[in-house]
Amino acid sequence: MSRKKLKILLLSLLPLLLLGFLAFRAFENSAAYYYTISEVQANGVSEQKLRVKGQLVPDSVIYDASIPLLGFSLTDGDAHIQASYRGVLPDNFNHSEEVIIEGTLNSQGELLVSKLMLQCPSKYEGEE
Amino acid sequence: MAYVGIISLYLACAGTILSIILGFRALKDKKEPLGILTHWASALSTLCITLSALSLVLALLTNDFNIAYVARHSARNLPLIYKISAFWAGQSGSLLLWLLIISFLSLVVQKNRKYQQNHLHIRLCIVINFVRLLFILLLLFVTPIFELLAERPFDGSGLNPMLQSLGMMIHPPVLFLGFSGFLIPFAFAVIGLWTNDTQATWLRHVGKWVLFAWLFLTMGIVTGGQWAYTELGWGGYWAWDPVENSSFFPWLTSTALLHILLLPNKHRLKRVWSYVLIVLTYTLTIFATFLTRSGVLDSVHAFAGGVLGQIFLAVLVVMAVFCFGLGWHKRQMLSMVPTESTLSNQGLSATGKTIVVGSVLLLMLFAGVLFGTMFPVITRVFTAREVVLDASFFNQLSVPLFLGTIFLMGMSPLLHKKASDIKILTKRLALPVLLALVAAVFTYLSTGHLAASVAFALAAFGFGTHLPVLLSPDSSRRWGGSLVHLGLLIIMVGITGSSIFVDDVLVSVEPGQEIVFGDYRLEYEGLTVRYGSERYTVGTTLAIVENGRCRGEITSEKTFWEGRDQPSTRVGILSTLKEDIYLNLAGWENTTAQLHLQRFALVSWIWAGSWVMYFGVLVALLGDMKLNVKGKQVKLWPRQMR
Repeated sequence: MSRKKLKILLLSLLPLLLLGFLAFRAFENSAAYYYTISEVQANGVSEQKLRVKGQLVPDSVIYDASIPLLGFSLTDGDAHIQASYRGVLPDNFNHSEEVIIEGTLNSQGELLVSKLMLQCPSKYEGEE
Repeated sequence: MAYVGIISLYLACAGTILSIILGFRALKDKKEPLGILTHWASALSTLCITLSALSLVLALLTNDFNIAYVARHSARNLPLIYKISAFWAGQSGSLLLWLLIISFLSLVVQKNRKYQQNHLHIRLCIVINFVRLLFILLLLFVTPIFELLAERPFDGSGLNPMLQSLGMMIHPPVLFLGFSGFLIPFAFAVIGLWTNDTQATWLRHVGKWVLFAWLFLTMGIVTGGQWAYTELGWGGYWAWDPVENSSFFPWLTSTALLHILLLPNKHRLKRVWSYVLIVLTYTLTIFATFLTRSGVLDSVHAFAGGVLGQIFLAVLVVMAVFCFGLGWHKRQMLSMVPTESTLSNQGLSATGKTIVVGSVLLLMLFAGVLFGTMFPVITRVFTAREVVLDASFFNQLSVPLFLGTIFLMGMSPLLHKKASDIKILTKRLALPVLLALVAAVFTYLSTGHLAASVAFALAAFGFGTHLPVLLSPDSSRRWGGSLVHLGLLIIMVGITGSSIFVDDVLVSVEPGQEIVFGDYRLEYEGLTVRYGSERYTVGTTLAIVENGRCRGEITSEKTFWEGRDQPSTRVGILSTLKEDIYLNLAGWENTTAQLHLQRFALVSWIWAGSWVMYFGVLVALLGDMKLNVKGKQVKLWPRQMR
């Protein structure tokens, strides 16, 4: 390999290495692991941050606006999970087809939600 | 109405097919009349598409609920402007809007006399009509837009309250205009390779179109952010949501492209990288549609899509394979250096080198954000457990790269001409360095925040280097670009301020009570109720007092609709140059209200900076028109460096 080619190769490796380093550094504390609700119930999940997707159990929503604290449970059809979110009740909450939550489990097996994502019924298509 | 729409769509379909066939014949037989016929067929198809779109607008305005699309997205009591924006509330309407925009662009291209040599216009017509045909076929057979209901409902189900906003009027059409604008450079590049254009004349045509598309893409992203900022549950103006990121990908690649296009034509890097970036940018606009419609990633902005996502993925793969295959096949032509020049990599000026390094940084940003966005998919495929990366990943990854890019951007005017002379360089550096120091020291002393000091110092530095360019008439060619840079610096100040200096409180207040929030006192007087047709609204208005002086009022209200269990909240925002006060009426019990108050510093700088950017692009685009001033041809935007 000629010197010039080697130089070009090394120069093009530099951005890749830098990017890899930045990505590696950023990875810590920002990864959330996907679990199904049944999985969470079946075996205790370690303390890492997890993401769970499920349907809202009707009549499970309790909201105390003065704190504000929102409690609800989600189901995937088989199992349930209890979740609590310290924040304002979103407008489209009761109405969501699917709720995605991110957070950590406490000792009672309740998910303390740090991020709450709601998907509208048929995702912004009209109601049928 | 539905029949007019369907028939014109079928006619448009016939028109595009005819135009493609005629186009190929015209190229083969080299007969002038055939070329003219190609254009007529194409123009006919544009006319039919316009008719079809008009019939949908009419159907929406006249509440023609026979049409499933109208029944699903509109309602009798919907305000007029939202009836119009219901046009693109669903996926088939969005496709029709996209198709309409492409059709108008094709008319502009056909009309342009510059493209009429060497059958270029016929080839453009063919490429554009292939893309149009895809959209028409989708609208006819995959997501039929004029599908009729068996029974006509009395009323439609209406537009989701979150979409009843000014953002809905502006953001989707502008973004689509940006996306479809990249079709034209894409067509030029592919044709350039197809016709063995060894002189790379296609490079001369693309610059303006890339800039045009880039303007609307930028506008689309900013207006989207502005909309998400006022809508609760969308996570502020930028949340690194997959759908948001997907519009950012083509922005990053096209920004790199814009700069690569400034390199001298003689340079070997220019041809290859222009081609790669043009193809990449256009495929990324298709990829964005795929991500939004397919549901492979969780997003608050995702739309229902069904098979449409898969079709877009298939198109994406076919297009990418074809274009990069074509590029590889013609690699010798792409990397060829014009014979008369002896310029090689070493011959690049300081500005040229900055452009290359800056483009590499932008592509690194693109690769990093793409990696983070697709990480759930990567882990789903290759590991046992899917892993999602949150905003902190994207922030940590991108902030150093952004700062590096901004620094280079600030350096760029310094390196222009005679930069090797140390004396001149020192003279040019004096003002920017002074400004940067002042900004850094001031920020650090008043807030003690190191990251903010660095960011503001960089912004001040860039401001200092760009100011002389803007003040000197000699550099009028560089005004457009410098204004865009300046706008970006202002945006950076806004983003830094609003993500670092934030306050957030939730208070329960009784009428007559006063809230102390930062430097402000807010007076809560009580709740008001308004009744409208099929809805009622509860709201509150707070007077904001600073140092005994009334600064204004903010109102937040919640509207409850009959027959919908989802209320819609309007937040109140008091925006000043210094900060935004953001009020959300979170709830109430009797007369006690729960108020969620937030303060974001410098948010308005983001919107102000975006306007400076748009203005800069306009200056550049108009400057490209070669104005005749005192017999001298003046161009504001250099197509290539001298």
